[in-house]
Amino acid sequence: MDFKSLLKKEFVSLDGAMGTMLQARGLKTGEAPELLNIEKPEILTEIHREYIEAGADIIYANTFGANRYKLEGSGHSVEEIIGAGIKNAGKACEGTEALVALDLGPIGQLLEPTGSLTFEEAYDIYKEEVLAGKDCDIIVLETMTDLYELKAAVLAAKENSDKPVICTMTFEENMRTFTGCCISSMALVLQGLGVDAVGVNCSLGPRELYPVVEELCRWSNIPVAVKPNAGLPDPVTNAYNITAREFAELMEKLVPLGVKLFGGCCGTTPEFIKETNRALKGKKYVGIAHKIPAACCTPAKTVIIDRPRIIGERINPTGKKRFKEALLADDIDYILGQAIEQVKGGADILDVNVGLPGIDEKKMMIKAVKAIQGVADVPLQLDSTIPEVLEGALRVYNGKAVVNSVNGEEKSLQTVLPLVKKYGAAVVGLCLDENGIPKTAEGRFNIAKKILDRAVAIGIRKEDVYIDCLTLTVSAEQEAARETLNALERVKKELGLKTVLGVSNISFGLPDRVKINSNFLAMALTKGLDLPIINPNTESMAAAVRAYNVLMGYDLNSAEYIAAYGQSGSVSADTAVNIQKGDMDLAYALENGLKGEGARITAELLKTADPMAIINDILIPALDKTGSEFEKGKIFLPQLILTASVAQSCFEVIKNHYAQKGEKSVSKGKIILATVKGDIHDIGKNIVRVLLENYGYEVIDLGKDVDYMTVVNCAIENNVHLIGLSALMTTTLVSMEKTIRLLHEHNADCKIMVGGAVLTPEYAAQIGADFYARDAKESCDIAKKVFEEFYPN
Amino acid sequence: MSGTLEIKSINRREAFRYMGYKGGEINQGILDLTDQCEEALLKTVKPRMVYRVFDIMNVEKGVEVKTTPLIFKGKDIKAHLENCRKAILMCVTLSAETDKLIRSLEAESMEKAFITDTLASAAVEQACERAEEIIKEQVGEYNYTWRFSPGYGDFPLDVQRDFLKVTDAAKRIGLNITDSLILIPRKSVTAVMGISEEAIPPKRRGCICCNMRDRCEYRKGGNHCGF
Repeated sequence: MDFKSLLKKEFVSLDGAMGTMLQARGLKTGEAPELLNIEKPEILTEIHREYIEAGADIIYANTFGANRYKLEGSGHSVEEIIGAGIKNAGKACEGTEALVALDLGPIGQLLEPTGSLTFEEAYDIYKEEVLAGKDCDIIVLETMTDLYELKAAVLAAKENSDKPVICTMTFEENMRTFTGCCISSMALVLQGLGVDAVGVNCSLGPRELYPVVEELCRWSNIPVAVKPNAGLPDPVTNAYNITAREFAELMEKLVPLGVKLFGGCCGTTPEFIKETNRALKGKKYVGIAHKIPAACCTPAKTVIIDRPRIIGERINPTGKKRFKEALLADDIDYILGQAIEQVKGGADILDVNVGLPGIDEKKMMIKAVKAIQGVADVPLQLDSTIPEVLEGALRVYNGKAVVNSVNGEEKSLQTVLPLVKKYGAAVVGLCLDENGIPKTAEGRFNIAKKILDRAVAIGIRKEDVYIDCLTLTVSAEQEAARETLNALERVKKELGLKTVLGVSNISFGLPDRVKINSNFLAMALTKGLDLPIINPNTESMAAAVRAYNVLMGYDLNSAEYIAAYGQSGSVSADTAVNIQKGDMDLAYALENGLKGEGARITAELLKTADPMAIINDILIPALDKTGSEFEKGKIFLPQLILTASVAQSCFEVIKNHYAQKGEKSVSKGKIILATVKGDIHDIGKNIVRVLLENYGYEVIDLGKDVDYMTVVNCAIENNVHLIGLSALMTTTLVSMEKTIRLLHEHNADCKIMVGGAVLTPEYAAQIGADFYARDAKESCDIAKKVFEEFYPN
Repeated sequence: MSGTLEIKSINRREAFRYMGYKGGEINQGILDLTDQCEEALLKTVKPRMVYRVFDIMNVEKGVEVKTTPLIFKGKDIKAHLENCRKAILMCVTLSAETDKLIRSLEAESMEKAFITDTLASAAVEQACERAEEIIKEQVGEYNYTWRFSPGYGDFPLDVQRDFLKVTDAAKRIGLNITDSLILIPRKSVTAVMGISEEAIPPKRRGCICCNMRDRCEYRKGGNHCGF
C-alpha cells in the first residue's frame, strides 16, 4: 500500500493523539516524549498498534519534536530518535496495510523577523529530520502556525525525499493561526508548493473547527485532512471535554464539506478513531470540484485578482538616482520607506526590482524581499531578468509571489517557468521573443498563447499566468498604443487570462506625462486590464483605478473610494492641519512634527540656499534646541523623536538634491549601530539611528541579533571609528561584552558606546566600553565628542 | 484553559509613564498621534491567555510544581507562595500581529512606533489584569496572591523555558522563547499566582514586580512612580 492507493479508499483514517496516550502512561507534563522512542520502545509500538486496531490507515511516528533544537542536551541525536520512532511505528504496522508517517512539528524557535531563526536555518533543521526519517512512507508536517516555517519544511521534505507530504496548520476561532496566517493563503501556498494533502489539526474541537474546514475546502483542489482536539481542555485536570461518540458525530458533519482524511489530535484516543470510522461508514466522499481564483498572497492577506489591482512600481532603480545611491549604499531602510509609502497610497502588490550594475543582485534581492515582507503586508512581484535572482527571491518569499517575468524566448521559457512551477508562483508573460516586440496585436497575442501553452504543459495553472502586452512610447510610434490595447483585449477575451501592463512608458518624451498616463490607464482598464503597474502615489493614477472600480460595481457601495477620498479629499494629504502654508518656516515645522511641510519647505529653500547652510543654520540648531529641552525634562521622548522624524524628511530632500546633481551627501563620520547577538529588542537602537542621522552622521545599521564578528569585520572593512552597541536583556549583556572584547582583540581603531535598559555606567566601564549613553540624545553628544576630539577628519 | 481577552481602551496614563513623561503639558501633536496609534493597536492586538493550576510543595531549593519537572528557585518566590498549596501558572500575550505592527511602524514613522510600543506595554498589563479576573471567576473564590513573574527578585528568568512547556503556551497561545530567554511575541507576560489557605496581607507591590523596572526613567533618577 502507498499513499496514492490509499486515496482510492472512500476516506483515509489518521491516528489520534500520542501525547495524551503517553501522559496516561505516566509521562510528566513538560517532558520530551520523543526520548521514549529509545527508552521505552514497546510503549510506542503498543500505542501505534491500538490506533491501527481502531482502523487508522496512517500512524504518526513519535517524532513531532525530534529536531536538533529541542533535542539539544538530551544525549541523543536527531537520527537516533527519529530512526527509533520510525522503527517503532514500522513494527506496529507489520502484517497490516497501515502506513508510517514521519511526523514533524514546529521547531520551537520563531523565524525572522519575529524571532531570530533564519529561513535557511529552519530549512536545515527540517532537512536533517527528513533525512533521519527516510524509512517512512509519508511525511506529515503538522500543528504549524507560521506559514514561513512550513514553507521551509515543505522545501526540505520535497528536496530531500520523494515521499508524499501532508501539511496541517493550527487555526484559532478567528480563522487565523497565531502568526496571523489565513486559510486561503495557506491553501494557495501549499498547493503551489505541490504538497499532497492540506488540512488543519489541534487547537479546537471538531465543532469549533467547522467554519475553518469549510473555508479550507473552498480553497483546496487537493485532499483535505482534519485532526481536531477532543474539544477544549480543563485548566485543572487538563482533560478534554467531549466524548468519543460526540467527536465522531461532529466529524461526520465535516463530510459534506469535502474532507478526505479524518483523525484526532490532543485528547483523542483509539476509541475516538474507532467511533469516527464507524460514523463515516457508508458515507461518500464528496470530492473536489472547486475553481480556485487567480490570486497571490502573503500569509495574512490574499489578493484575489477579481478586479483591477494596483502593482506599485517604485521599488526599481531605473532612472532614479536616489534609489541607485540607496542600493549602492546598501540602504534597505530607503527601500522599506518606498514600500510603506506605496502601500499607504493604495498598492495591492509591490514590484521589487533591485537590478543595478555593480551590486550582487541576488544577495540584494533576497535581503530586500526579507525586509519588505517583514513590514509590508502586500504580496510581492519579484522582478528580474536573471533566473538565479528569481529563484533566490522565490525561495525566501513568504507567500505566493508573482514572477516578473517570462517571455516567448525559448531560453526564458525553459529557465523561468520551472521556477514558477516549483515555488508555486504566478507569472507575468511578456509578449516578446527572439525577434523583439511584435508590432501588431496579432503577433503579441500569438506569443501570449505560446507562453500560456508552455506554462500549462508543465503544470502551472492557467489562472496563474498574467500577460503583459507591453506599452510602447506613443511619442515615438503613435499607432503602438492602439495595438497594445487591442492585444490586451484579445488576451483577456480569447485566452481568458489576467492582464498586466506597465503604464508610465506610454508618455515618455511628452510634457505633463501624467495626463497621458492616466488617460491611457483608463482606456486600458476598459479593455480589461487587471494589474496596472503604476506609481500609486501619483494621485490621478490611483484615482483612475479607484474610480473604475466604483463605476464597474466592484467597489461595493463605493466603500473603498470613500475610505480613500471621503475624509480629506486626498489620501496623501499631510497630517498637518489648518496651517496657512505661507506662515510657516522650517523651525516651526520641526517643532510641531509636520513632516510633509518640513520636506516641502526644504525643497523650497534649496532653490535659493546652499544645502549645508540649511543643515547648519536651521536643522541642527532646531535639533539642538529640542535636545536640550528633552534633557531639561521640558519635553519627553515622543516629541524628541517627532522632531527628529521631521528633520529626517528634510534630510531626505537634501539627499535627493545631491543625488540629482551627482554629488555625494555630507557625512560627519561613519557610525556602526547594532543590537547585540541574542537580543532582538531594537526599537531603542533605531531611535538612536534616526537622531544620529539627523546630525549628519552616516549610520551603518547592522540590525538586531548581530553576530560578534559581523560588527568587528564591518568596523575594520569600513574603517569606522565609532560603534554603538545596544542590549536590553541581562541575558544578552554577555554578548555585548564579547563583541567589545573581539573589537579590541582585532585592534579595531574605534571608540565604543553602549546603551540599553539594563546597562549602568559602571557596568559599561567594566565591560570595556568607552562611553555609556543614557539615551538617544546623549549618543549624539558622544558622537560629536568622538569625531571632534579623537578623530578630527 | 486558554482563551482570548478583551481590551477596549488602553491605559494612557501608564503608557505616558513608559514614554518617560514626567508631567507638564503634552503637545497636541503627540496626543493626536497617540489617538491614532491606540486605534490601530486595538484593532491589531489579539490578547490571549493560557493558565494551568498545579499542586505545589516547598522543597529545599524552592517550590516544586508537582507532576512537572519545574522547581521554582529563590527565596522571593518561596516567600510569595508561602501558605499556598496550589499555584496558577499563567501566560498572556498580545499576539504576533502586535510585533508586526510595531515593526511596520518603525519603517514608516519612528514616533508612531515608539508610542505604539509603549501603548502595547500598557496593554499587556491590562490583559494580565483581565486574565486574572477570568481565572478567579473560573477557579473559584479563594485567597489569591498577586502575580509574580520570572525575573522578579531572585526568581530566575531561566525558568521561562519549562514554564512555557508546562503550560503548553506555544501551542495554546502562540507564545515562544528565544535562546536568550526573550518571550516572543514580545508583548507577553508569564506569572505565578498562589492560592492560599489563609488570608493574604495586602503588600505594596513596588518596583520588584514592575515590567518597566529595568528601563524606568524614575528609577534611573533614583525616584519612584508611586505605583
